[in-house]
Amino acid sequence: MSISRRKFLGLIGSAGVGTAVSNSVFAASNKHFTGYPESFAVLHDSVRCVGCRQCEEACNKVNDLPEPDQPFSDASVLDKKRRTTAKAYTVVNRHDRAKDGIAPVFNKTQCNHCLEPACASACFVKAFKKTKTGAVTYDASVCVGCRYCMMACPFDIPAYEYDNALSPKVVKCTMCQPRILEGKLPGCVESCPREALVFGKRDDLIKIARNRIARYPKNYVDHIYGEHEMGGTSWMYLSGVAFQKIGMREDLGIKPAPELTSGALSVVPMVAALWPVLLTGVYAITKRKEKIENEEKNQAVNSAIKATKAVAELKIGEALAKAEKEQEEIVEKAVKSAVDNAVKANTEEAA
Amino acid sequence: MVITRLTVVLTVLAVAVILYGSVQAFDQPSQDSGQKRADIIKIDGMKSFGNLERSGVVFLHDLHTSALQKVDKDCTACHLSDNSKLSLKFKRLKDTSKNEVMNIYHDNCISCHVEVAGKGDKSGPTTCGECHVKTSAYVASGQPPTFDKSLHYRHSKSQENKCELCHHEYDNSTKKLIYKEGQEGSCRYCHKDVNEENRMSMKSASHIACIDCHQKTLKNKMEAGPVQCGGCHDPDSPNTINRTDIKNIVDVPRMERKQPDFTMVKTDVNDKEQKGVMDSVPFDHKAHEGYNDSCIVCHHKDLTSCSSCHSIEGKKEGGFISLEQVMHNPDAKESCVGCHESKKKDKDCAGCHELMGKHSNNSSNCGKCHMEQVGNMKEATTSHKSKTDKSARLAEMMLKSRTPITATYNDEDIPEKILIKDLSNKYEPVEFPHRKIVKALVNNINNNKLASYFHAEKGTICQGCHHNTPPGKQPPRCVSCHVKQAQDKGSFKIGLMGAYHLQCMGCHKEMGMEKPVSCTDCHKEKAHEPKK
Ligand code: SF4
Ligand code: SF4
Ligand code: SF4
Repeated sequence: MSISRRKFLGLIGSAGVGTAVSNSVFAASNKHFTGYPESFAVLHDSVRCVGCRQCEEACNKVNDLPEPDQPFSDASVLDKKRRTTAKAYTVVNRHDRAKDGIAPVFNKTQCNHCLEPACASACFVKAFKKTKTGAVTYDASVCVGCRYCMMACPFDIPAYEYDNALSPKVVKCTMCQPRILEGKLPGCVESCPREALVFGKRDDLIKIARNRIARYPKNYVDHIYGEHEMGGTSWMYLSGVAFQKIGMREDLGIKPAPELTSGALSVVPMVAALWPVLLTGVYAITKRKEKIENEEKNQAVNSAIKATKAVAELKIGEALAKAEKEQEEIVEKAVKSAVDNAVKANTEEAA
Repeated sequence: MVITRLTVVLTVLAVAVILYGSVQAFDQPSQDSGQKRADIIKIDGMKSFGNLERSGVVFLHDLHTSALQKVDKDCTACHLSDNSKLSLKFKRLKDTSKNEVMNIYHDNCISCHVEVAGKGDKSGPTTCGECHVKTSAYVASGQPPTFDKSLHYRHSKSQENKCELCHHEYDNSTKKLIYKEGQEGSCRYCHKDVNEENRMSMKSASHIACIDCHQKTLKNKMEAGPVQCGGCHDPDSPNTINRTDIKNIVDVPRMERKQPDFTMVKTDVNDKEQKGVMDSVPFDHKAHEGYNDSCIVCHHKDLTSCSSCHSIEGKKEGGFISLEQVMHNPDAKESCVGCHESKKKDKDCAGCHELMGKHSNNSSNCGKCHMEQVGNMKEATTSHKSKTDKSARLAEMMLKSRTPITATYNDEDIPEKILIKDLSNKYEPVEFPHRKIVKALVNNINNNKLASYFHAEKGTICQGCHHNTPPGKQPPRCVSCHVKQAQDKGSFKIGLMGAYHLQCMGCHKEMGMEKPVSCTDCHKEKAHEPKK
């Protein structure tokens, strides 16, 4: 059941394997993945959206989610900013733009199904997967509940079933993968009375979005959010006002998450490189033991982590301390220069 | 232990990313806070000598003018004069060096503030940080004033038509400003946004000339135009050039520049016969003078005819922009199409036209302007001697032959009501008041000459909703193109539900209608079925 200490030492001993694996990981991430050809996506047009929340209601229905506290027809729900929860895979928010002299703008939030998902790259047990349909799927059976995905997601999407004491899961929009496979539209898309949501091949949607911008230049900001953000996403957006004004991050850049993490991790010699490998190794071993039942698997991972801790402390404690100190300095410097830059940028703008 | 350390490292990294983002995203100075003022002058002219060491100073001009007036001081308290014209700069005629300019401000501002404070009066700042603030408590709200026809008329009337008081031209040989009667054009033809060679910028020229004259008039104890910033630059102040009591002069007399009342706009001025080119366009010049605030709207460079710079193939004087382009550029306010396009934004037009998107013109409209000559007009004009007169007479006749009416079918041919049952699983069917809507659309534009002319065909108004189909008495129903399922997969044509909602709600919004705000404004709540 638990993994013997000897096996672990053996694993650590094969440092060559560790570094080799890590190198190939970094090498692979240098090439930017532009999505599976023919993969599906959804375009949300906030210029068309009227905040009716039919999409939320449909999502609730197709996913068998619990009744919400307030009915979907209750418009007062929109008075507060909401984020996705374990009971609502998608939420529509109202952004008042009286300051700009325009009517409120509505925006729908759900998992963006990134082309190179941060959640997936943060997940040690590979519970998240970018599939060929375009959906980023989640496999609860392997999830260890570490919630790194929640920390990693730049869009603050995955939610956790804190209410579920027995087997809490991470939850998020599935892009209605099961429905897509049946040839149906995602629940929210099908329900939208304004066709503010369009489902189709990602390439086609980009063309449609460009077309709308060209045909109604005064109504749209000349940008398709998600075409390149975070390396591109399968849920894209159009807007008539700056995306920042409708609660969307404009500071993400166009680099995919794995590229960013690999950059950050590469400054930690060996340790960081080995760490995920250790854990994946652990997982691989547990997986091989097919007899182990599900809960036992979790237990195995837990004890494996304990064991790893012991081994790591034993073997590379000093190296780690040193590396960590270096890392802290680097981080400190990075934070300082980032803040300095930001402050500088702001003062320049103010001047 | 190990995990915690690593987690700390990663968390710090994450925090670094988040922090950097948030500082950029949320810490921007708000544009909306602060008191709005039209008299803000940013003292930062030293920029021309290199980067400023401290932030520029926000100076409230009207505040100072009023304060000085109270102690019987006038502009000369701050402005020196050159040839009896006040310099717009503070206490100097020109910028010499960074230090010198800086000292002029520091010495004069501070010493005056100290002096005033010494007398026990309310005074301005005397320490560095009070003037050099990073974020000012004020927001500039000044707007460029428009010298429209009404304002021009008020000036020429009060100056008894002595145009030479303002209008001049530069004579290159004598190097002097001279006046040429009958050739008065807009100031902007020569005075641009910035100083050019020996030509002042529009800003300097207008401040010097306007304020100088207003002041002299005031000194003679006569009613005069504004001398303070807000007087011209504050659009919200009632006591300015925007004064409604004098602004609303109806029927401002025409400005006489020997312009024609009517003219034929030729498509190729070199082609006398106008063969193989588009037909000429009869143009009501007089009417268009009335539609615009000033001549510069169309005559953007000078008062000559369009074809003197723009020919069929384009020439240097016109920046190689051809006549066809200048007349049809939908984005240029000077062009015919551009100006007409902008009229589609009127509430009465926008309901249909905004949804059609950009460039909703089609080629069947060409002939509307490029009219074929009708009947024996040529003969009718033979009595006119000069070519201009002939062309004007022809244009007038052709224009008069037009009958602008917004037409549509007889009532009995327009279905009165249409029952839309598509969402009847959720709501009662919608009773769509079809005829009422058609009539409202027609009535809205009936008095609009431009709109009437372009909607004279009976089916045209129908095409606002029944788009992409030829006009006719029985246009196809929505469902014949828009499929019933949620989204026409693959073709991406809008589905029926989307089509209805986008068309109906889009039009309501563009026409400034308040309803609908909720689904039940159109879809009546479903009546509960009586229990048996
Ligand atoms: S259903 Fe469509 S219009 Fe309604 S809130 Fe959702 S996206 Fe917006
Ligand atoms: S939006 Fe967040 S949860 Fe969704 S795929 Fe991207 S990183 Fe993962
Ligand atoms: S795609 Fe499916 S799961 Fe995702 S928000 Fe829409 S309805 Fe919900």
